[in-house]
Amino acid sequence: MSGAPDEAQQPVHGRIRLIEPACTSCMLCVRECPVWCISLDSHTEPDPDVPTGARPRMVNVLDRFEIDWGTCMYCGICVEECPFDALEWDTAHPAAADGSADLHHGIAELA
Amino acid sequence: MRWVDWYSDGSLHVLDVALACCSLEFDAAARGAALVAEPSPDARTAVVVSGTVTDRLAPAVAAVVDGLRARQEVAPVVVAYGVCACTGGPYWDSYAVTKGVDTLVPVDVYVPGCPPTPAALREVLDTVADRGGVA
Repeated sequence: MSGAPDEAQQPVHGRIRLIEPACTSCMLCVRECPVWCISLDSHTEPDPDVPTGARPRMVNVLDRFEIDWGTCMYCGICVEECPFDALEWDTAHPAAADGSADLHHGIAELA
Repeated sequence: MRWVDWYSDGSLHVLDVALACCSLEFDAAARGAALVAEPSPDARTAVVVSGTVTDRLAPAVAAVVDGLRARQEVAPVVVAYGVCACTGGPYWDSYAVTKGVDTLVPVDVYVPGCPPTPAALREVLDTVADRGGVA
């Protein structure tokens, strides 16, 4: 092989992925982002997984999660701050777009 | 502000409006392409705004792009290179920073990133020049 460093060892500084099932809509990433480029909406539902006889409790359900790549500065603070590892670095970079609104990526595009 | 003959064959002249650190990424993307004088009105052109546009400088940036648009027979492709040019980037909440160059002039392509990659600019300009590139 060539003398190039192993790709896995190179720092990854591409886009940021959302692992939707891990997200609890806790809002930490939204509030810690220095440029406020993350926004999300959620609602609460009764948790179906409570033991019989236990008091009912509510869980957050994520409705909308959006990163504005037109503002994100790739600092990775959201990735570091997420307590549930729902955000991670990805090697690909967000593509150029014909409109600034196209740089707003939702749950599907961030997967 | 300077003109670059992007492919060194006169097929695409790129005006670098270098306002902040993204201009270094522009340099990396240009790979030492030749600096040239202002091209003739029938040349294919692109304007790359790389960096933070301040409100104080905004009229000058708008005048450059509008002037080129009026002068060229084929309208120049305007590229907002980097998040500052796209939306104001990390400075979007600053009292002194323009919230994207598209508030001044129409923008054709938005390249995200802070910084964006030189490869992203090369891909965009390859597409402009119809040389393949963006998949």
